Amino acid sequence: MEHVTGSVDRGKVVLYALSTCVWCRKTRQLLEQLGVAYEYEYVDLAAPDRADEIDRTVAKLMGRASYPTLLTPRGNIQGYRPEEIKALLNV
Amino acid sequence: MNAPFEDEVERLYEQLEREAGEGGYYLNPDREVTRALVEGLVTNRRRYGYVACPCRRAAGGRQQDLDIICPCDYRDADLNDYGACY
Repeated sequence: MEHVTGSVDRGKVVLYALSTCVWCRKTRQLLEQLGVAYEYEYVDLAAPDRADEIDRTVAKLMGRASYPTLLTPRGNIQGYRPEEIKALLNV
Repeated sequence: MNAPFEDEVERLYEQLEREAGEGGYYLNPDREVTRALVEGLVTNRRRYGYVACPCRRAAGGRQQDLDIICPCDYRDADLNDYGACY
């Protein structure tokens, strides 16, 4: 898990993403533009067991394992949905 | 980014544009987004040997990943749901 520092603390914000995915990249860019502190993990670069574990976690929470998936204390969002992400993080 | 990678991205971009047009589709006109997507395809082709969708987790074997090789089985459903493939 990589940590990204930011001036906006919204508690534990975790992004599960794919290193190859443009929508995951845009989600990271948005969080950084908003200054939100978060953690992220690239599922495609994780060890297979860890990647399977993330898939299971995401599927259980969201109904299917797809990325980007953003987990926050106030709710979770799957896909690059900038307005919903801003609303959820109150920024 | 190294030059051979960039050249490969450019060639695949042109190929996809041509093939999409022949099939009655068109690539996202936002070239920045489309180029990033093609970069993901090239990365996956180098990693796995085939153009697995960069937005879906590949299993790493062609047979297991047949459904997510671009253009993937989910393209039309994604186009209907999101207006773009994903």
